[in-house]
Amino acid sequence: MNTRELVTEATLARLNVLRMIRAGKSGHLGGAFSCIDIVTALYFAVLRVEPSDPADPDRDRFLLSAGHKALSQYAVLARRGFFPEEWLDTYGSVSTKLPGHPDMHKLPGVEANTGALGHGLAIAAGMALGLRAAGNGGRVFTILGDGELPEGSNWEGASIASHHKLGNLVAFIDVNDLQISGRTADVMNMEPIADKFRAFGWRTTTIDGNDIDSILGSVRYASSDPSAPTAVVARTTKAKGISFLEGTLASHYWKPSADELRAAESELRAASGLLVGKE
Amino acid sequence: MTVDTLVDPRRTLGEAVTQAAAQDERVVVLSADSGLSSGFRAFREKYPDRYYEFGIQEHGVTGVAAGLATTGRIPVFAAIAAFVTNRNFEAFRNDVAYMAQNVKIVGRNGGMTYSDLGPTHYSLEDYAIIRMLPGVVVLSPQDPGEIREAAAAMIAHDGPVYMRIGGPAIPDLFPQEKFVIGDGRTIRHGDAATVVTTGTITPQVIRAVDQLGELGISVDLIGMPTIEPIDEACIVESVRRTGRVITIEEHYVRGGLSAAVADALARLAVIRDAIGLPHQHIVTGDYNALLAKYGLDAEGLTARLRGILASG
Repeated sequence: MNTRELVTEATLARLNVLRMIRAGKSGHLGGAFSCIDIVTALYFAVLRVEPSDPADPDRDRFLLSAGHKALSQYAVLARRGFFPEEWLDTYGSVSTKLPGHPDMHKLPGVEANTGALGHGLAIAAGMALGLRAAGNGGRVFTILGDGELPEGSNWEGASIASHHKLGNLVAFIDVNDLQISGRTADVMNMEPIADKFRAFGWRTTTIDGNDIDSILGSVRYASSDPSAPTAVVARTTKAKGISFLEGTLASHYWKPSADELRAAESELRAASGLLVGKE
Repeated sequence: MTVDTLVDPRRTLGEAVTQAAAQDERVVVLSADSGLSSGFRAFREKYPDRYYEFGIQEHGVTGVAAGLATTGRIPVFAAIAAFVTNRNFEAFRNDVAYMAQNVKIVGRNGGMTYSDLGPTHYSLEDYAIIRMLPGVVVLSPQDPGEIREAAAAMIAHDGPVYMRIGGPAIPDLFPQEKFVIGDGRTIRHGDAATVVTTGTITPQVIRAVDQLGELGISVDLIGMPTIEPIDEACIVESVRRTGRVITIEEHYVRGGLSAAVADALARLAVIRDAIGLPHQHIVTGDYNALLAKYGLDAEGLTARLRGILASG
């Protein structure tokens, strides 16, 4: 899939997120849209996964440490064929397979039950250790939010990945600069993020996390030296793709009016070159 | 019992896991600077590629254990009981229990067996908090044979397990036999009451019950090496006969074995007494002196059981 096609996929995934929010009436849109270009690029151009065999032991793993960004993963998993897109319409309903935070026992393709912040990196490190021991070449990709970096457990995970030289582990840090209480720099400033990971023994690269080519470039960088884990500091925009929500705190957990939802859908359809279609 | 028949429970644990690892290559051991002191020195020598050291960080190691388990490994993570149930509780809850991973966490030096180190190193609430986690088996074997067999059963069981063992050397109490998770063990027969106990305190309880026997008071004594799922049938059968139950544990009474037994008996109207640790921070000192101070040594238990039973 070329860059243009991946960009289109990311837009279609964003439309899937809106579809879920339409069904559930609210959701964590801001973070889902800041990281969804990464999720799309990984599932369509990087990960060795097979939707018809989601439990293949030799598959690559992807997990969201920032589990509240689950809408991005659900949207892409559906596009990638892990489950019927009709399931998206169950978001928010009782006993849905698409809960507000991901559940590996409910939805094919989900690898971990995250949601409490600061858990993903250690779980990912355990997966990377296990895959390395299995010798199947499996890699592990995770996305952390910048807002969860103060959780000390991240730095436990960071030290583990470095000490055990987990070159098959890549952590994207989705730096959208905002968290529920305000600007991340004001709430708890964890910059310089790349320096911190470097100090822990990681390889690092900083990219535009909403640019497909930059994302793919960072994966190539990670693959170029398997001696250490790679942290990709992905500078992103919260709610990227919806002009009236971009960079706003209101997008963190979005409860749209009918008009706002329609406006968001129209903008994305226009961006993807699709006709403004039926509701 | 003589001193030279006492066995270090950590050594027993390490030997049992090493033996299981010989039969099942999925078994790996995780250490938070805690493996060697938990009895895994021989394991590390025999299986250096299956022994992972992480330094002192119980939360991170618990997450790693869950991640490893998703790739088909069976991680055994042993450390001081207080630190693998409290410090890492959210990882235990979410990454191990909620993710339903095949992870085995062993808390050693449970109860107040780290008697000189104080409340930071005691584990007097582990039964309570871990048995709250859906799908987690909670084991508290009572003698070296049970530890050995419980370790094998723990590894054979497909799902998360927490096992508490002590620290000081303990005596053999029972002939070694296959451990069935969820089975209670009737140790003495009697009719004045049902006494239910578990774990490292059991040798004291047996002595107390025998001393009562010499005084002409006979009780049913049930050893309960599995706290979750508790052997409800075993308790109910005995209590229906004796009409009352007394629980004894090296744990706060609130939420522990006492609560598990009470849950099992909720529909039976019986008078119930519970012996354990008072709901306060526990002092330090020689372990046996602490047992005596809190009335958990055989003599103290004898007196308390007599007192309870005399009260009708």
